[in-house]
Amino acid sequence: MSFAINGGFHEADHLWQFGLSGEIDISNASQLKTRLESAYSETPADIVLDLGNLNYIDSTGLGVIIGVYGGIKENGHRIILREPKENVKKLLRITSLDKVLCGE
Amino acid sequence: MSDTLKLMVPGKPEYVGTVRLAVSSLANKVGFDIEAIEDIKVAVSEACSNIVCHSDMDSDRPYRVVCEMCDDRIEIVVEDEGIGFDTDRYEEPAPGQMQERGLGVFIIRALMDEVNVLSEVGSGTRIKMVKYIASG
Repeated sequence: MSFAINGGFHEADHLWQFGLSGEIDISNASQLKTRLESAYSETPADIVLDLGNLNYIDSTGLGVIIGVYGGIKENGHRIILREPKENVKKLLRITSLDKVLCGE
Repeated sequence: MSDTLKLMVPGKPEYVGTVRLAVSSLANKVGFDIEAIEDIKVAVSEACSNIVCHSDMDSDRPYRVVCEMCDDRIEIVVEDEGIGFDTDRYEEPAPGQMQERGLGVFIIRALMDEVNVLSEVGSGTRIKMVKYIASG
C-alpha cells in the first residue's frame, strides 16, 4: 500500500504539522509510529495531522495515533486531526476518537 | 442463487491491501453503494489484520477468505488454522475510552450487519461477516 507522511516542525506555531496521504494499514502503520515518535522525541510539542489526502486508515493506524497520543498527553500535548474524508470520519466517530482528537 | 470466491492469502501484512481491493470489487459487483463498499473494505481488512496479528509470527501460514455473493447480501469468512486467541479475554473498548488494541473487532461489529468471531487457542480463528444490501 502506498502511504506518505510529509511535513515538519513549525517554529512560529511551535507544533509539528504533517500531511498524511494514501492508505494506512497493518503493512505500514509502523512507519507512521516511527515518524511521529521520532519527531516528538526531537521536539516535544503538539502534533497536527492533516488527513485531507488520506484515503484509508484502519484500526492499526488508529492504534498508532492512540498510542502516540497516550504518550504525549502526559506532557500536556495533543494530537489534532484535521480534514478527514467521510470514510475516515466515520471510523473516528465509531471509535469516539473524533471527540478527543478532532477538536481545536 | 449465489457465487462463491475463495482466496488463499499468505499470512503477511502486505497482502491485506490486496484482499481489500478484491473484496471491494466483489461488493461493487453485488450492487452495494459507495459507503457500504467502504464499510465492507474496512471490515474485511480488520478481519485479515486480526488473523495476521494473531498468527504465529515465525510463519507466513496462509489464511482463507471466502466471499459468498448473494442477491441481497455478501457473506465473508476469514479464517486460519493458526494459534488463535482467547475470545473470553477480549475486552470491547468502553465508550469514550481509547485503547490501542482490540479496536478491530469493535469496528467490524459496528460496520457489518452480522458478525461471528470464533477463536480457540491452538485451533485458529474464524470471523464471519454479513452485510445486506438494503441495510443502508
